Amino acid sequence: MFAVMKKELKTYFCSPVGYVFIGLFLIMFSIFFYVDVFQYGSTNFEYIFYSGATILTFITPILTMRTIAEERKNGTEQLLLTSPLSITKVVLGKFIAATIIVIITEICTFLYFGILSFFGTPHITTALVTLLGFLLLAVSYISFGILASSITENQIIAGVITIGFFILTWFLPNFSEVFTNFSLINMFSKFPTGQIDIADTVTYVTFTILCLLLTVIVMQRRKSVR
Amino acid sequence: MDFYGPNGAGKSTTMNMLTGYIEQTEGDIIIDGYDMLKRPKKAKKEIGYMPEGVPLYTDLTVKEFVTYMAEIKKVDKKTRKERVEKIIEQTGLKDVEKKLIKNLSRGYKQRVSMAGALVGEPKILILDEPTVGLDPKQITEIRNLIKELGKTHTVILSSHILSEVSQICNKVIIINKGKIVAIDTPENLENKVSNKNCIYVTVEDIENKMKDIKDKIKDINKLELIKENEDGTKEYMIESKEGIDLRKILFTELAKENITIFEMKKADSTLEEAFMKVIEGGNK
Repeated sequence: MFAVMKKELKTYFCSPVGYVFIGLFLIMFSIFFYVDVFQYGSTNFEYIFYSGATILTFITPILTMRTIAEERKNGTEQLLLTSPLSITKVVLGKFIAATIIVIITEICTFLYFGILSFFGTPHITTALVTLLGFLLLAVSYISFGILASSITENQIIAGVITIGFFILTWFLPNFSEVFTNFSLINMFSKFPTGQIDIADTVTYVTFTILCLLLTVIVMQRRKSVR
Repeated sequence: MDFYGPNGAGKSTTMNMLTGYIEQTEGDIIIDGYDMLKRPKKAKKEIGYMPEGVPLYTDLTVKEFVTYMAEIKKVDKKTRKERVEKIIEQTGLKDVEKKLIKNLSRGYKQRVSMAGALVGEPKILILDEPTVGLDPKQITEIRNLIKELGKTHTVILSSHILSEVSQICNKVIIINKGKIVAIDTPENLENKVSNKNCIYVTVEDIENKMKDIKDKIKDINKLELIKENEDGTKEYMIESKEGIDLRKILFTELAKENITIFEMKKADSTLEEAFMKVIEGGNK
């Protein structure tokens, strides 16, 4: 599992993928930071993450779309599946690697926290809760991205499915109240206010586990039906 | 051991099943006493697989790739580094170990793939078309490597090239449409179908006397005109009775009849013919 994780991290940073993800996120984040701080004169670190969640919706596929689709296309999947590693460990390795990239990104955002400390007194606990919520959101996004990557050979299709699904869950509450609790991005809204909602946390975690489990099943199924 | 068959016969599929990449619908695959479905970890550890088309992680360097393969093949941490070094040495990759795989030539890629298959110290080595797309020098190198490995490992390979098979394999399995049609040593397969009693002669026969030869030499079973060449010579196939070598008598008799021999050769059956026959037989 750690071998796969290490290799995935290596490819994130040997190819532009990792830098593009972190860079793109930070650029967008900076813009929102500028708008929040200078336009509205707020020194609230947490609220920028509402916009941050929006960014995440669009850039998660950068990390996830290649994970399994590329392996299948290049045939390197054969190397993995014929090794003594179980599929679960392969999927987990890839998942953890992508999560580490998000954690690195979050650590980078502390820079803005530092800047804000000069001008005001941002609340550190609330900030940490926000980061936790953001991580949970990212983790569920990533797991869905990996699932999308496992059902197709084409990276682009995997990416489009991922973004499509995120946007769908984002706007569904606009059509009917029923979907309010199904929207991944809406669930995030409580974290920046400093509360850890157990229901939301559990939903994120179960959604992640479900997606990873489905990925394993999809890959297992491919082995027997070909 | 070699897997041989026409395109689409099921060679790669069989290999994929043996290595646990896809699951079989019927029957059991037992690798060194471990069932592939029930104890996949043990079974897969005994196998080194070099898939068709040499899939590799092109973003890694040669050394990184081989190390990665060693890791996922669960090579012991203490011996891993040595093992990787040794394999790189053995496959002749020492000079390029720090290069990115995407910058390597096809021949080197093939070797990297081979190194990846070997690094887990498998007992069984499965190679899917190991020499496709290489230049003649590289082919010889890879063949020698395989021969070398054959001394210590069980090597199963699939190939389209029959000369390769007869050179490096001591057992051939010919399959067609998913069914085994023959299992034997290359020599036996050749012998099975060979026409030892056939002689091909090319002659200049101005007076058209060749037809009469059959009556003159009693041992001839059949005499057949194969083709007429542009320079006026004719090629005949002469089949004799079992166990008789006609060449000497033909030489003297034809000279008497004023027929000039341009070329005379004994039919030499190859593995190609054996293969064709077996496959045709299977199709009927």
